[in-house]
Amino acid sequence: MPKVPTDDPNIYEVFAQSGQSTGLNHVGSLVSPRPEFAWHLAKETYGRRDDLVNLWVTRRADLIVSEPADRGLLAAKTRMPHRQPGFPTARRRDRSSAPVASADPQADRAVADDPAGHRRPDDEATTARRDLGAARGPELSDLWLALADDLFVLGNRLGAHITDYIDLEEALAVGSIGQEAVAHAGTILLLCGFDQAAVDAWFFDRRHEQWQVSRALERVLDWPSLVAGGLLIAAAVTVLADETLGLEPGAAHLPPIAAIRQEQQVHLEHWRRLAQALTTWPETAAEFGLVHARVTEYGGDLFGAVPQGIASGALPTGPAPVAQLHERLAALIEQDGVPTSRLPASPQQRAVGRGGSALAESLNRGRSVRDGYAAGVFR
Amino acid sequence: MPTATTAGHRYYELWDPMPDDVREGARRFATVQALNELVGVLQYVEWLDRAPSHTRRQMLMAKIQDEVGHGHVVARVAEDLGMPREQILVDYLEGRLKIHNIFHYSFQTWEELGPGLLLTNSAAIQQFQSLAKGVYLPYSRALRKVEREESFHYQHALDLTHEILTHGDATQRRRVQQGFELWLPRILAYLGPPDTDTLHGNRMWQVGMKPDGNDAVRQAWLTKIIPVFRKLGVHVDPSLVSQAPSGEWQFAQPDWAATKKIIANGGPSSQRRLDYVRRVLDRNAGYRRALRGVA
Ligand SMILES: [Fe+2]
Repeated sequence: MPKVPTDDPNIYEVFAQSGQSTGLNHVGSLVSPRPEFAWHLAKETYGRRDDLVNLWVTRRADLIVSEPADRGLLAAKTRMPHRQPGFPTARRRDRSSAPVASADPQADRAVADDPAGHRRPDDEATTARRDLGAARGPELSDLWLALADDLFVLGNRLGAHITDYIDLEEALAVGSIGQEAVAHAGTILLLCGFDQAAVDAWFFDRRHEQWQVSRALERVLDWPSLVAGGLLIAAAVTVLADETLGLEPGAAHLPPIAAIRQEQQVHLEHWRRLAQALTTWPETAAEFGLVHARVTEYGGDLFGAVPQGIASGALPTGPAPVAQLHERLAALIEQDGVPTSRLPASPQQRAVGRGGSALAESLNRGRSVRDGYAAGVFR
Repeated sequence: MPTATTAGHRYYELWDPMPDDVREGARRFATVQALNELVGVLQYVEWLDRAPSHTRRQMLMAKIQDEVGHGHVVARVAEDLGMPREQILVDYLEGRLKIHNIFHYSFQTWEELGPGLLLTNSAAIQQFQSLAKGVYLPYSRALRKVEREESFHYQHALDLTHEILTHGDATQRRRVQQGFELWLPRILAYLGPPDTDTLHGNRMWQVGMKPDGNDAVRQAWLTKIIPVFRKLGVHVDPSLVSQAPSGEWQFAQPDWAATKKIIANGGPSSQRRLDYVRRVLDRNAGYRRALRGVA
């Protein structure tokens, strides 16, 4: 976590720029007993040799600095490769070296429907396995799959709210949280053994009736409900990630789960700061209290996934400790410091194919371009 | 004292004493750009929930976030020069600031998006590369950050266009062609009226805020982007744009009177943009105050 590195008011950090084409560089620090000496001492200490164009001095106690543990969060290139200019280029290159797609849409459909190549969400075998699983209760992977639905829906809502202009810096944070939520949804499916085409089929070709979105996200359409919903989903993902990380320490699937956990922890803290602001600000307190109560009341289903009979892939197998997870979620929500939580005492089952007409409409819009194209065109 | 002096121009940091024209010009450039980034992005937001694959959605969301980020960095430049960020959007709603002609339209089809974005991004890159040579250093730095992200947007647009031209059917490919033909004249107009004869009388040119004329930027842009479209397999009809043996590009002059009307909120999506901005500012005013902790 970023921190203020010292409370010693006499230490100063020095930044110098030696030419117009280079930026300011950190060149060192010094001790100055009085603030009005600091810049002059810096000039004598660090500015004796070069022709400087700029010399800036600031108190170390006024800095907020990253720690080594923050490095993962700072590795933007690694975490979000789709933001790099090289990403679309590499996509095209990979694709042109792949077998040429047939020009006949029907033939393409046949390829896409090949069960060996693509996992499909709606085949009969899946339904049969789902019935079998329902009797046994959900596995860990079922819980993850349901949370992937939540993350995908939430991430897309956040994407649309980048331009809600609560403030510009906040808009950018919302953009990152949205992209990460959508990325996490995809990673979860990959961990469950999907390939990228199957990920797309899952999020874009599945009918509304097959989604298991938490009721907490049903009416997440304005700012207070996004804050409350974001808070709740981040808490649930954090709890489930902790559980998963504790089961098979050292297993191969752990790094992506650990990365998801680290980013969701950041989301959780982000939403907590906003929830605090909305709770303590007189103008918004009552409204946010109502919204938060509604969202948490509906959030009882976060670990109530209905088994889908999808193999667990790289994730650990075995029944999920739903009641314990729910308890841990409740404990985590306590720490938010928002007094209006109405999370039910025990977990509720998710409703399959619900999520309100707003959800159905947005899923349909998501298919509208895709449906006009032969299968396999969009990647 | 200015911060540095090169090639006859002085360069300024925020706290350097500088001519009023430089300060005023920098504030105006940054303000207008901030508005256009913040409102222009709405064109793409309208398509976010239709982006047809997981990766596409990620990339489009990244682009939207970047555009708001561009708005943010230039709004910071404007704020430091005395233009508060709220005022930028309020001035737009109250008619004191206008958005560029290209942001008064909406994309009608997914296929139109690729060529439209490719033309817009490449023109913006060309323009920012020119403006980044200007004398107000904080604005130049902001533009260099923006340019770096625009190169991702450019590749993204190229990829969108290429995907449909390579894998789409005849109708879909034809819509890409139509998109190119629809947007090319709009971008030609976006780059501004001819100014070869008047540039040296332009105060912003004189003080070093506008290093190149509209014609120079437009010609350089066409030289770069037209071959890209040809290589993609888009037909560039000589009636739209053609190159003389001298290398100079010729094109039908945009209808400047019509462009002016569009900029005065007379375009097909002008009202929709105004309504959107008014709605989000109104409904979020209380939350914004809560976030800042200021009544
Ligand atoms: Fe931009």
